[in-house]
Amino acid sequence: MELQNALMDVLSLETLLTILLCGLFGLFVGSIPGLTATMAVALIVPVTFYLSDISAIAAIVTLTAVCIFSGDIPTTLLRIPGTPSSAAYVDDAYALRQKGRYADALSTSLMFSVTGGLFGTLILFLCAPQLAVLARQFGTYEYFWLYALGLSCAAIVSGDSRLKGAIALLIGILFSLVGLSEVHSEPRFTFGSEELMSGVHFIPALIGLFGVSEVLRGLWASGDQNAVSPESDLSNLQQSDFSFAQQISHWLSRMVRRPLQTLRSCSLGTVIGMIPGAGADIAAWMSYTFSKRASSTPEEYGHGSEDGLADASAANNSSLAGAWIPALVLGIPGDSVTAILIGVLMMKNITPGPDIFTQPEQVRLIYGIYLSFIVANLFLIPLGYLGIRASGLILKVPQRVLLPIILLFCIVGSYAISSSLFDVALMLFFGLLGFILERYRYPLGPVVLGLLLGADLEASFVQNLTKDRSLAAFFSRPLAAVLGVICLLLWFIPVIRAVVRKNSTVQEE
Amino acid sequence: MISRFSFGWSFVFLSLFIGCERQEDFPNRPITLVCPWSPGGGTDQVSRQMAYFLEVELGTPCTVINATGGQGVTGHRRGMMARADGYTVAVITFELNTLHHQGLTTLTYEDMIPLISVNEDAAAIWVPVDSPWQTLDDLVADIKANPGSLTASGTATGGAWHLAFAGWLQSAELETSAVKWIPKGGADPSIQELMSGGIDLVCCSLPEAKQYYDRGELRALGVMAEETVPGFEDIKTMREQNFDWVLVGWRGFAVPPGTPADRVEVLRRAMQKIVSGEVEVDGDSFPKFMEQRGFNNRWRSSDDFHEFLARNDGALGKLLNSEAFASLAEGAVGPYDFPMILGVLLSGLVIAQVIVLRRTKSTSTATETPELISSSQNLTASSINVMFGLGMILVYILLAETVGFLILTALLLVLFLWRLGTKLTSSVVITVVLVPLVYYLFAVILRVPLPRGWWGV
Repeated sequence: MELQNALMDVLSLETLLTILLCGLFGLFVGSIPGLTATMAVALIVPVTFYLSDISAIAAIVTLTAVCIFSGDIPTTLLRIPGTPSSAAYVDDAYALRQKGRYADALSTSLMFSVTGGLFGTLILFLCAPQLAVLARQFGTYEYFWLYALGLSCAAIVSGDSRLKGAIALLIGILFSLVGLSEVHSEPRFTFGSEELMSGVHFIPALIGLFGVSEVLRGLWASGDQNAVSPESDLSNLQQSDFSFAQQISHWLSRMVRRPLQTLRSCSLGTVIGMIPGAGADIAAWMSYTFSKRASSTPEEYGHGSEDGLADASAANNSSLAGAWIPALVLGIPGDSVTAILIGVLMMKNITPGPDIFTQPEQVRLIYGIYLSFIVANLFLIPLGYLGIRASGLILKVPQRVLLPIILLFCIVGSYAISSSLFDVALMLFFGLLGFILERYRYPLGPVVLGLLLGADLEASFVQNLTKDRSLAAFFSRPLAAVLGVICLLLWFIPVIRAVVRKNSTVQEE
Repeated sequence: MISRFSFGWSFVFLSLFIGCERQEDFPNRPITLVCPWSPGGGTDQVSRQMAYFLEVELGTPCTVINATGGQGVTGHRRGMMARADGYTVAVITFELNTLHHQGLTTLTYEDMIPLISVNEDAAAIWVPVDSPWQTLDDLVADIKANPGSLTASGTATGGAWHLAFAGWLQSAELETSAVKWIPKGGADPSIQELMSGGIDLVCCSLPEAKQYYDRGELRALGVMAEETVPGFEDIKTMREQNFDWVLVGWRGFAVPPGTPADRVEVLRRAMQKIVSGEVEVDGDSFPKFMEQRGFNNRWRSSDDFHEFLARNDGALGKLLNSEAFASLAEGAVGPYDFPMILGVLLSGLVIAQVIVLRRTKSTSTATETPELISSSQNLTASSINVMFGLGMILVYILLAETVGFLILTALLLVLFLWRLGTKLTSSVVITVVLVPLVYYLFAVILRVPLPRGWWGV
């Protein structure tokens, strides 16, 4: 009965129109590097005052779902990850684009984003209250291992050398420690600058590492007349035979071929998403790592693997629905979007919490939330398709014109975060860093994740040691022990394997 | 081509014209509120509500930007050091009066013109509802029996609620180190940690714990307010329990010094109308919102606020400069311990990498080296190009706030296009079309404040 009412709410003209408009808005905002889902949602908040309860929530749901997909558009076409989670598969997506298969890459990421989103919704629908209890188990020990796990995944799977991946990761973490941390009231590595107290802002660094370094590479190549620019003949390589039916059939065949892998990625995404403070980024990296580990063709990963792309996209979208679990059930925001969401809910006189599932008026709304997740994800299929078709136009622009325009958006995007030219300077610095690391073939993905989670890793490390100075305490709680052991295995298996292999070769000699 | 040209130019002139500052009618441009805390938090919510009603009252777009980090240093600084033209309003909070005593910034409440304070929320000591402690005396007895074994959190080390808690410990004649403070990023994660059984108690403000309190999951042992707080009637104040301790966090708005007096007056009047509930949209008003979210509605007009700030700053200064607090900031793990571990790890890895490189070099000839060397004859041309790029962006950063977004961006774009081999005429055409378009898109549609210069654009 309530379900029926909720269906009526969601399928009303107002809500559908809201979803459509927000979808278009999200597609646009998400595809500009530097503009995030959080920003899109914050912009829409004043508008939600005028909307009905369900439309207001549908607006936020749609924006988050669409933004995280449209972040893949610049990831694929320009090699600038639109969101931190796209950094997990930026190399694969861009490699496909260079083979002229940008539409395949984007449609894979689109269709698996939708799959992940729908799966996450299903879990949200079926067992949100039960899972929320699990989310409540997370204390500082568990967080430490979770962050360590996510970070190690990035180091292990990126690039061709684990060593280089680990070095890149540590560089990222070290940069994340700049400034006044939440655990020390002493500014570190700030050289007396009050601007640096807030540390390295993540978005400008991301834009710099990928966007500006690309511009610098273009400048380098244009000074080198002898070298044939690899991008010059790209426009001829475009896919012209890409149709909507193809996109669907492509997805279906992939789903049939790899149902278990998709299931694994989606579940991983949902579970990680629901842990407050962990989100789409960790989900995408971990899913990508597991995908590579279990794959029969791990050598393809990083060089245009559609499997990796599919698994990571599925995970990052399902984590979005996961983040709503603690938000709705416990009132704990899983990320900044759900923090804003809780604010909007309370404006509408809805207090998130266990009661939300018992009061009839609220139950109707809860069903409304689930249904708007589903509708928003289904809307994403045609919207995304249009986005893919439209974005193909970018490839028609010659590189010499495109690069300065990229730079323009990089600058505005970095500035937009907090209206500060200091952030533009940070962008420039990380552009140079990215350019140098690239030339020596260090992967950039781990730097990004290190920057994003490094400070959190340190915070949980310090919190743990403040509670108890012994290292054994890191394994004192059951969940922490499990996560810790998985993490240690991840670190030491390659070492043990290398030692064993060395011994066997020595014996053979 | 000509039509595109004239279209582009008319766009430029139009935007120049719109952007021109006219003294007589303030405000005629978007106003920016600089919030030092992250989106979704209490201060952000209050700022966004204020921005919403300010927009209705003044009829100009009002945007909130979150300049977060550095425990509030960055945001406060950015708000107070902004151009003093009334178009940037700083959101200021309690931390303004603590950070400079801790030597984290040089800014004080005297470096700005206060507009209004909108909220005062007292801190309280929270425990899970099934906790054995029923009163503060129970807690004090337990702390005395097991000094240093209980853990508490609520914010970062040295943050507002840490001070609140340490101040209470002092009022109970306990050592400030008698309870371990586990630094956490804010009230939300602290309460979560409390629920997961990771810590024993949380000190944070009333609205931050309101939903847990309403649901009967948390209970407060005492509140650090002057008198009982409406909506939280069953929580006794510290004074009622014989601890002489009051600590109230506040939020307010201010503008940089030097802002023209008439503009300050416009903002003051608008904000006073808003907080006293005279500005209504569909029956919603600012005080109604505050009440709904459990934020205390107490507000002070600018003179009262200024006096209050001075008193508050003095009291906090006395507290923070006292001996007991000197050791407070020192955690169990030194600030450079973790970076040191990472540094050692990193150097180990770099050494390993060098060894690997040597080994591969001796077996196969330099496959790992970058393409740098292969095209050494063009090395200079390439590096000049890269230098040019870096230099241009640097110049842009240095001049953007003086010259303004439109002109400087156009210049940058033309130069880059030309350098990468586009013809000068087409470069100009592209620029003239694109830059105003981007300006319109970001500044008008997305409401991102862009650098303003000579002509206000």
